[in-house]
Amino acid sequence: MAPTEVAETLGARLGSRLLGVEPFPGTAGRVRFDRSGALELFRSMRDDLGYLHLSMIAGIDWVDHREVVYVLWSDTRGDYALLSTDLPANDAHVESASGIWPSANWHEREAWEMVDITFDHHPDLRHLLMPEGYQFHPLLRSFKLHEPEQLEVKTRNV
Amino acid sequence: MSAPPARAAPPPAAAGEATELPSHEPGVPFIEIETLRTRQFLPAAKEALGDLIAEKGQSSLIRPVFNWAGRNSLFPLHWGLACCAIEFAAGFGARWDAERFGVVPRSSPRQCDLLIVNGTVTWKVAHKLITLYEQMPEPKWVIAMGNCATGGGPFRTAYSVVPGVDKLVPVDVYIAGCPPRPEAMLDGILRLEQLIQERKE
Repeated sequence: MAPTEVAETLGARLGSRLLGVEPFPGTAGRVRFDRSGALELFRSMRDDLGYLHLSMIAGIDWVDHREVVYVLWSDTRGDYALLSTDLPANDAHVESASGIWPSANWHEREAWEMVDITFDHHPDLRHLLMPEGYQFHPLLRSFKLHEPEQLEVKTRNV
Repeated sequence: MSAPPARAAPPPAAAGEATELPSHEPGVPFIEIETLRTRQFLPAAKEALGDLIAEKGQSSLIRPVFNWAGRNSLFPLHWGLACCAIEFAAGFGARWDAERFGVVPRSSPRQCDLLIVNGTVTWKVAHKLITLYEQMPEPKWVIAMGNCATGGGPFRTAYSVVPGVDKLVPVDVYIAGCPPRPEAMLDGILRLEQLIQERKE
């Protein structure tokens, strides 16, 4: 499937919230979108284009802004598709995709705790890999390796 | 049908000669099995008997025997964390066979008196480790196996790794290595047995 076909299908639904579809090797294209049209784009990718499987969600810290990349897979088309959106660093939040693809749940939890991207209307946005009460977002570029003694572990009463 | 010939009973050890092992008939391999335990028990029994004669009290009478019994039946928790757990498992296999020292891994912390922390401890799993340690009945000992459990290893400065398991539980024996071979693990267990033998309180 060519990027131009993807752009035609999505452009009819999203209008100006679709920022463009770039060719990307090995995929049907890299869809850049504005976060205000996130939920509509997710629905269109799943229902109109048949991308039923969400492989992964990656959060990236580009220091001046942040980016969320979604990797989709379609069994009927047999190809991948990438979605990406840019978020301002001081207000990094985007609509959760876990209502569209349930596999987004844990990926969004990881992106939230590692690079501090908030996913709105997420059903269970809490720590995934780090203990409860962990105060840092360790994959941010601004994160400094701290002395481990600063961390306190919560013990449970037995 | 004739009954099989009964094995000749070993002659009783002479009193006062604690280090002398009872002799057996040649050809019976029983002596090789008995040697290790007998050599460990007789000095302890001799010490206990001496304390009884001096009337030093019940605790000093029982302690050496208790230590001897405890050190020869260490039950570690069957709990694997990382690659050191592979060496831990190999140590209980046919080649190294830690069970000949009485070390038998158990699956429940309620049945254990030895916690071998074999691997990288993250902060996520730290409270589970503390829970397991607190569930073990007294007396109990901890071995930090490998560089990660000893001091965090190569992940010491990582954001998610506990820099040494002694930040969480008291550790008796540290074993270096990344990962240590099963011989090193057995050496650590034997050194812990030495510590238990010298236990006083």
